[in-house]
Amino acid sequence: MAEYRINARGLQCPGPIMQLFTQMKSAEPGDLVMIEVTDVGFKKDIEAWCRKTKNTLVSLIENDGVITAQVRKG
Amino acid sequence: MRLIILGGVAAGTKAAARARREYPDAEVMILTQDDYVAYAGCGLPYYVGGIISEAQELIVRTPDEFKHENGIDVRTRCQATAIDPSAREVRARDLDTGIEQTYGYDKLILATGALPVLPAIDGIHLKRVATVRGLTDAKKIRVLVDSGKLRHAVVVGGGFIGLEMAENLAHRGLQVSVVEMRDAILPGFDPEIAALAKKALEEHGVGIYTGETVQRVLGNASGEATGVVTTERTLDADLVILSAGIKPNTAIAAAAGVETDARGMILVDEYLRTNLPDIFAVGDCASVRHQMTDLDVYSPMGSTANKTGRLVVANLIEPRETFAGVLGTTIVRLFDVSAARTGLSEEEARAAGHDVETVLVPTPDRAHYYPGNKPIITKLIADRATHRILGAQVFGEGVVDKPIDTLAMGIALGMTAEQLSGMDLAYTPPFASALNSSIVAANVLLNKLDGKLRGVSPCALELDNPNQQLLDVRTEPEYLIAAIPNSINIPLPELRERIDELDPEKSTVVVCKVGRRAYGAALLLRRLGFRDVKILDGGMTAWPYETV
Repeated sequence: MAEYRINARGLQCPGPIMQLFTQMKSAEPGDLVMIEVTDVGFKKDIEAWCRKTKNTLVSLIENDGVITAQVRKG
Repeated sequence: MRLIILGGVAAGTKAAARARREYPDAEVMILTQDDYVAYAGCGLPYYVGGIISEAQELIVRTPDEFKHENGIDVRTRCQATAIDPSAREVRARDLDTGIEQTYGYDKLILATGALPVLPAIDGIHLKRVATVRGLTDAKKIRVLVDSGKLRHAVVVGGGFIGLEMAENLAHRGLQVSVVEMRDAILPGFDPEIAALAKKALEEHGVGIYTGETVQRVLGNASGEATGVVTTERTLDADLVILSAGIKPNTAIAAAAGVETDARGMILVDEYLRTNLPDIFAVGDCASVRHQMTDLDVYSPMGSTANKTGRLVVANLIEPRETFAGVLGTTIVRLFDVSAARTGLSEEEARAAGHDVETVLVPTPDRAHYYPGNKPIITKLIADRATHRILGAQVFGEGVVDKPIDTLAMGIALGMTAEQLSGMDLAYTPPFASALNSSIVAANVLLNKLDGKLRGVSPCALELDNPNQQLLDVRTEPEYLIAAIPNSINIPLPELRERIDELDPEKSTVVVCKVGRRAYGAALLLRRLGFRDVKILDGGMTAWPYETV
């Protein structure tokens, strides 16, 4: 199973969620995508997005203003 | 000179301390019915919340310190009962001994503060029903909360003190509900900001019930409060906080012929003089001039009390310094969001006869790429004819005090939208964006004033108007996360090719996350002949209602 890392720091809406969306489309079920974001609105967005798209939010942490989410496809 | 000051919290003690410095030979006396003087009343909710660990941290100076270090004669638990302006005397009763005494004065400063407005309902005298006016009140509440036995609290009144109490009681682990009789919490703020504050409080588990009146407090056999009945529901309550507003404490002043208005505030001139010779009034018992309307208003704020308490001393012998008045600048923190305002609200601006334009502009509070940036929303209220900024409100998780203070300064000096847009403000990524949040808001305002852009407030948006289409131009994933019910999603890059899905004859409201893409879409739709195009002010970021 592949792992991908996206640096979406500095991107504002809709940048981070679009990058994740694009990466998840090409990923295989079970693949893990890690994304780093500096847009705080992303925290709420990613939770809702994973819930609605049935992807798994493995972790969501905020450290020194950087939000890191790990999402597993499927 | 013998100076008597009635009241010894903020304004009274400020006046006493300065009088001591300015008139070293004067006799200065403070009479107060309170147990304490010179305490930080605004800190009381945080003392209940435990952020301030002990009550003594809120006491700036004790009566003994005043006496010994400043030579000010402080009489606590000494309640003034009458003023005789012709004899220049105050009668006061010692609350412990019951003995009444007469004190002669040359100058009298009224700093009697305010009293809580108690709703006329059954049960307010039960145990565990409390107001939050003084340190004595707060200590009582703190003891109850510290007992660990309380589970539910109801706060009556959604003003600043009520909401700060709600936050602090929630921090202490209580399930808190706020009942507000008006349609919105946060008096003085416009509905867009009040609705966002409500949403934020609800996200932290605080129940907010607006448009409901408390009818009675329920109690048990021990005479303790157990619940609150409103016009809509019954709420459990081991603790009931009454914070449904305050009124000036001016009965003895009024009885002595000091002029008050219908609500009881003492009317003072710009030198803080009352209508009676040698009697002055400052702080929460007195009127202040509103700088935008020139009207006498009631603005019971700690900041105003400290300023007027200090200033009045200059005018005791002859009128020397004038008080500039207030802009209505206030700020409150509620969990992880803050709300601040200055100048006129939209409603106040309309009431004052202005033809009003407003904007609601979300931005980050510093460079969007700098880690730790947080969102804020700026509302500006301006006069369409003169472009003068009349008021501002800033809300969000990010820094709001800096922009509101900058805006207050500009508004006080008559700043226009053009001047705000060109303001030279501090910039480097950890502190601000290259285009400062207030400047971005000014630019959106200028676009509106120039007619390039029309907006609709989230509070005015009709969701079931058959002659209106709500167009969401965000990307599909964003739309999927949260969208306004009945909106149509056409991402901005696809708008031109999918234009047939829309009806140019209907009025169109365009929404995106903050408003930037909606503005682009609105310009395109107008070029394509759409009849009536508006954007949703503040976009999804400022949308305080339900999403799907």
